[in-house]
Amino acid sequence: MFDIDLFPLRLSLQVAGLATAICLVVGVALARLLARRRFWGRDILSALVTLPLILPPTVLGYYLLQVLGRRTAVGAFLEDVFGIQIAFAWEGAVLASTIVALPLMVRSAQAAFESVDPSLENAARTLGRSDLGVFFTITLPLAWQGVAAGTALTFARAIGEFGATIMLAGNIPGKTQTMSVAIYDAWQSGDAALANALVGILTVTSVLSLLVIGRLVRVPRW
Amino acid sequence: MLHVDVQKRLGGFELTMAFAAGDEIVVLFGPSGAGKSLTLQTVAGLVRPDRGTISLGGETLFDARLGLNVPPQRRRIGYVPQAYALFPHLTVTQNIAYGISSLPRPQRAQRVQEMIDLLGLHGLEERRPGQLSGGQQQRVALARALVFRPRLLLLDEPFAALDEAIRATLRQELLDVRRQLHMTTVLVTHDLKEAFALGDRIAVLDSGRILQQDARDEVYYRPLSRRVAELIETRNILRGTVLGSDRDALHLDWRGHLIKASPQPLPKEPALSLSKGQPVDFCIRASQVTIVRPGRPTRGAERENLLHGRVVREDLGAESYLLFVAIADSPQPPDLQIELPINVYYRLNLDTDKEVVVSLKREAIHVMAVDAA
Repeated sequence: MFDIDLFPLRLSLQVAGLATAICLVVGVALARLLARRRFWGRDILSALVTLPLILPPTVLGYYLLQVLGRRTAVGAFLEDVFGIQIAFAWEGAVLASTIVALPLMVRSAQAAFESVDPSLENAARTLGRSDLGVFFTITLPLAWQGVAAGTALTFARAIGEFGATIMLAGNIPGKTQTMSVAIYDAWQSGDAALANALVGILTVTSVLSLLVIGRLVRVPRW
Repeated sequence: MLHVDVQKRLGGFELTMAFAAGDEIVVLFGPSGAGKSLTLQTVAGLVRPDRGTISLGGETLFDARLGLNVPPQRRRIGYVPQAYALFPHLTVTQNIAYGISSLPRPQRAQRVQEMIDLLGLHGLEERRPGQLSGGQQQRVALARALVFRPRLLLLDEPFAALDEAIRATLRQELLDVRRQLHMTTVLVTHDLKEAFALGDRIAVLDSGRILQQDARDEVYYRPLSRRVAELIETRNILRGTVLGSDRDALHLDWRGHLIKASPQPLPKEPALSLSKGQPVDFCIRASQVTIVRPGRPTRGAERENLLHGRVVREDLGAESYLLFVAIADSPQPPDLQIELPINVYYRLNLDTDKEVVVSLKREAIHVMAVDAA
């Protein structure tokens, strides 16, 4: 039992953590944009953000691979100019998880922002605060419950990501093999004991992570 | 001094506003949907007008032609929106201090304390808006809007959410606070009593336009049109015809009765012609119609424009009674409404179905042009 390689667990936490952080920043910005602004292409943007929710993850991973694969124009450009490799690298797993989980964050945060009374933001603006200041002192605190729920959902979705990840990042032990992929791999190769152990570890880790996130983002009710 | 002259189209609604305000309370009065709140929002900088200019104390805040639009953050206008928009997650102190966050801490504390003293908010400093009564919320909203020493105060239906009992107190407080701070104030209300209790000048709004703006008494006793008279709840708005005029009186025919009115100062807008045969609307406040005491010799003003009628209905109020009177051989009674203090009502021994003689005081009759519509 003690010679289990914990690399997949470390990688999964790293990938899910990073993906959640990116979703928090990008998702909150997108949610705010969609909730308050009316602009040309808003519906298209909204549909694009939601798309990963309805596309099967393998399909999504396939598209990503077609765009970002090492032999594609974009993939080659990124690798040659910036030295960034997405396909078959752990960064690919982060990207896959981020895109798959983003709609959960956006949907949850957007609903929360929409429920904030615009007259509160308007009142704050007449009191001399910048738009960014108003966002951080009024809008975000009042929408925090929704953003927090989105964060928890995002992390849960990211740590369990399988389909898009295995398509884009592959299954390279010690390099891109996350927990979900490792479990599948162990079961496929007939190692039921390892699969059982990994399943147990991931279950406990997921529940603990959500408890920690729940604690971190909890705010006192007013 | 505030100068507003703007136009704004919003869907099918069109707002055309032009008014000025000095060291006084200007009340924008009108029914809901008249464009009162929208007007305040354009002045606060929250809604951008399509055309026109807004200036305050010589500084241009908005000029459509120059493409100039000072953002709300830099207008230094105290704005108390409808329902107050207090920040629910912040305490009373934090709410009040919100607009002065850039001041150093000791100064901030001092300013907040000044506001707490001014508006009597002692003991509520650590409460959140949800733990305050409506009147307390209103005071906090006022404190929050005044703390950064604005050049102009905008109040959107400040007392609409409150009980009648507390309204009178808060109105008086507002007048006191304003007198201390000498601040130009624009107040929006659909409550007639409030408009006349607070306004130095009153602008009567309807469907996005100002129908009349004048000193409060001028609006009250001399509405420019039937619509204004209706909006300010003038109870007796009558339609008659000009018979002619002499030095002392304008002679009108109203349903076959001769009515003499004091010579009228003629308004320029809308133009009022008093040539013979011209139909005109005229009005008289219900409190200016008197009942002549039976069996007593009538004299002076009581003898003017005597009409015989019968009380057909009574509305019993707390301080005064409203009588509906049918004038003899009237085709569609009731014709007149008379408001009487309760003691007068009992002294005159009145009741439904009683025959009465009423007098329309000459000087209380106000003649208006017939609305084009």
